[in-house]
Amino acid sequence: MSNSFRPKLAGVVTTYFKYSHGQHIIDRFLDGYGWNGTHHRPEMDLVSLFVDQVGATDFSRERLKRHPEVKACTTIAEALTLGGSKLAVDGVVLVGEHGNYPRTEKGQVQYPRYQFFEQIVKVYRDSGKAVPLFNDKHLSWNWEWARKMYDTSRELKFAFMAGSSLPVTWRTPAVDMPLGAKVNEALCVCYGGVDSYDFHGLETVQCMVERRRGGETGVRAIQAYRGEKFWAALREGVWPRPLMNAALCRSHTLTPAREGFNHVFPTDDDMQRLVKDPVAYRYEHADGLRSTVLLMNGLVKDFNFAAYVNGAREPFSTQMYLPMPDGRTTLANFFSPQVNHAEKMYLTGKAPYPVERTLLTTGLTAAGVDSLFRGQVRVETPHLAIQYQAPKESTYWRT
Amino acid sequence: MLTRRAFLQTTAIAAATAAPASPKRIAIVATVYRYLSHAQHMGDRFLVGYPHEGAWHHPDMKVVSLYVDQKPQGDLSAARAKEFGFEVYPSIAEALRCGGKELAVDGVLIIAEHGNYPRNDKGQVLYPRYEFFQQVAAVFEKDGHSVPVYNDKHLSYSFEKAKSMVETSRRLRFPMLAGSSIPVTWRLPSIDLPLGCVIEDALMVGEGGSDAMDFHALEGLQCMVERRGRGESGVKAVQMVEGDAVWKAGVEGRYSKELLTAALSRSDTPLGLTVADGRTQDLVGSGELQKIVKNPAAYFVEYRDGLKATMLMLDGAVRDFNFAARLKGVGQPVSTQFLLTPEPNVTYSACLMNKAEEMLSTGVAPYPVDRTLLVSGILESCLTSKVQGHSRLETPHLQVTYKAPSLPQFSRT
Repeated sequence: MSNSFRPKLAGVVTTYFKYSHGQHIIDRFLDGYGWNGTHHRPEMDLVSLFVDQVGATDFSRERLKRHPEVKACTTIAEALTLGGSKLAVDGVVLVGEHGNYPRTEKGQVQYPRYQFFEQIVKVYRDSGKAVPLFNDKHLSWNWEWARKMYDTSRELKFAFMAGSSLPVTWRTPAVDMPLGAKVNEALCVCYGGVDSYDFHGLETVQCMVERRRGGETGVRAIQAYRGEKFWAALREGVWPRPLMNAALCRSHTLTPAREGFNHVFPTDDDMQRLVKDPVAYRYEHADGLRSTVLLMNGLVKDFNFAAYVNGAREPFSTQMYLPMPDGRTTLANFFSPQVNHAEKMYLTGKAPYPVERTLLTTGLTAAGVDSLFRGQVRVETPHLAIQYQAPKESTYWRT
Repeated sequence: MLTRRAFLQTTAIAAATAAPASPKRIAIVATVYRYLSHAQHMGDRFLVGYPHEGAWHHPDMKVVSLYVDQKPQGDLSAARAKEFGFEVYPSIAEALRCGGKELAVDGVLIIAEHGNYPRNDKGQVLYPRYEFFQQVAAVFEKDGHSVPVYNDKHLSYSFEKAKSMVETSRRLRFPMLAGSSIPVTWRLPSIDLPLGCVIEDALMVGEGGSDAMDFHALEGLQCMVERRGRGESGVKAVQMVEGDAVWKAGVEGRYSKELLTAALSRSDTPLGLTVADGRTQDLVGSGELQKIVKNPAAYFVEYRDGLKATMLMLDGAVRDFNFAARLKGVGQPVSTQFLLTPEPNVTYSACLMNKAEEMLSTGVAPYPVDRTLLVSGILESCLTSKVQGHSRLETPHLQVTYKAPSLPQFSRT
């Protein structure tokens, strides 16, 4: 890649209010961010911006005013062609999170990522040229559409990167799953809602277990447990209690179960009192690995991972650290490594980690929601026979 | 000099406590024990355990006595004593002797932060750490036996008192550990300076005012720079300036803008425009820093081996603690954030109590108390500079020399 290559990027976002994903991500391209001990300014230019919903709390107009070099566009096609007839950018930043969109009967927010993607690839097809595309979070709430997005990226042969910031943020401790390790059980304790932060929990698990011996083999079946069924499953040992305990011991935000104490380990009764609507996803990978994601709102406000690795009795564990601007911080810097990886993709034309990870977690999110909707039944997932190899190099934030 | 009688008692106690079935007996000497006071969140670690290396760890120790100097509204001392089966004693000596005639504990935690105590003309809160320590040491001396002592935060607001504390610990031959949780908490990124490195310049950014948070920031600086060259050589002069003089010093190159940018690049809490609309900021490059920091303070530290380091208190700019240094032979500045995890868990205090536990259980302090002695002196002299017209002060008394521990001591596993 020549040093003189300075990519032009189009930004396509649902909305741009303070602390929306669109704001976090696009701002980093516009204003730079702290990286490797300096204020880093991406060596590329965001030249156009499409915002689907510009409401009263919008800040995109402020950004456009302060960055007159960015063209405000009223359609996605315009953002990609800059008003001409052909694709005129070297990369696209797609952020379809936040904004007012209807929910499905299963409660999934219908963020228009697929629709935006379709409009983007139409320009690619019409121009006979496809450029790297970053898609924030899962591919689509709808599995069929997600699969189509993936297939289209392969058909048109463009670099496609997606997913959560969880796999790439800081870890406390700063450890990665040893490449080629034997893993038979993995678990994440986290917080947030269904069809929302459950995806982040699934990506937390996936970015670790994909490094196991043989690589990812896909998922055969998933079952959700909610409310009373969750507590029953906990009592029955459906998932390994020591892994859950280890994950809770990595949290920095364990709700004190007792008044006057700032940090005590909760009993089962404490947990049942603190967590009003617990959700678990338990799923089986094709090679026998069992994974679990526990959404425990009211107990923690962070993402903690634990697994049994290489036959060791003691769990391997870490926290994927999100400096969350919910009062703890002012800047959601976990977007910085995500944007930095996207920058590398725009410069090199190669995705830094496989989009198959997010294809799988997209399918798992939808299947988990499906299991919940169908009364927490076991859902077979033959469509999730997704196999891939993790990158050898660790991609989480360490520098 | 131990008397024969005291020696026999010492060995008797040692023999009693060496039995595997009897956990170490701990006395806590605190100013106050109310929710989220240091005594509560540190002392409780020995009562209810704490997370360590991915497991809930219960120290093999038993708190057997507590002394609290003040019992304000919200005092938890009586409730804790009742629940965990120990006594609250009306004096430090009685707490150490558990109401008996001889020292009856294997370790002492002095946690004298929080509570109502007056301030001196330098703005230092006169927490009675020295006074508590003296009473602890008096028991050791009288009873002819000493046990490890952990002292939370700086040793004393007064370097002379702090020095006397360290000398007493050496004279009576007991291990002593002190200081802030900043040196031992998680770091983002998880780095330490290479032992023996050559530091060309170092800068620390802190916030939260004096005298409390400036101590933490100075200890953050010290735990990094002590790893240089042949070890710590002591400090020959300090100066503290405030207000516009801080920006002027920056223009004059008295501290490095590159290092300031590096330190701030590690922050997760930039204020000003970030609070207004969420944007990222290059606070130095944009000039916003001067606008949002109403009363900056710079603490200039000149070490005896020639290193000059700066600690900037930038209230209004950020709400976290970040360090940067330029090392000889390394192209880019080295920088990191000392992660102060959120309330109420404040897990950094678990990191610190793990170090205290290590000392209480092994009898060896994991890092030298001289660090905290030096920082106690740097802080006092900087605040003297402040009240003496922000003048530069020679500090011949700060010839505190020591070696940093060879292994990193911060939380990383």
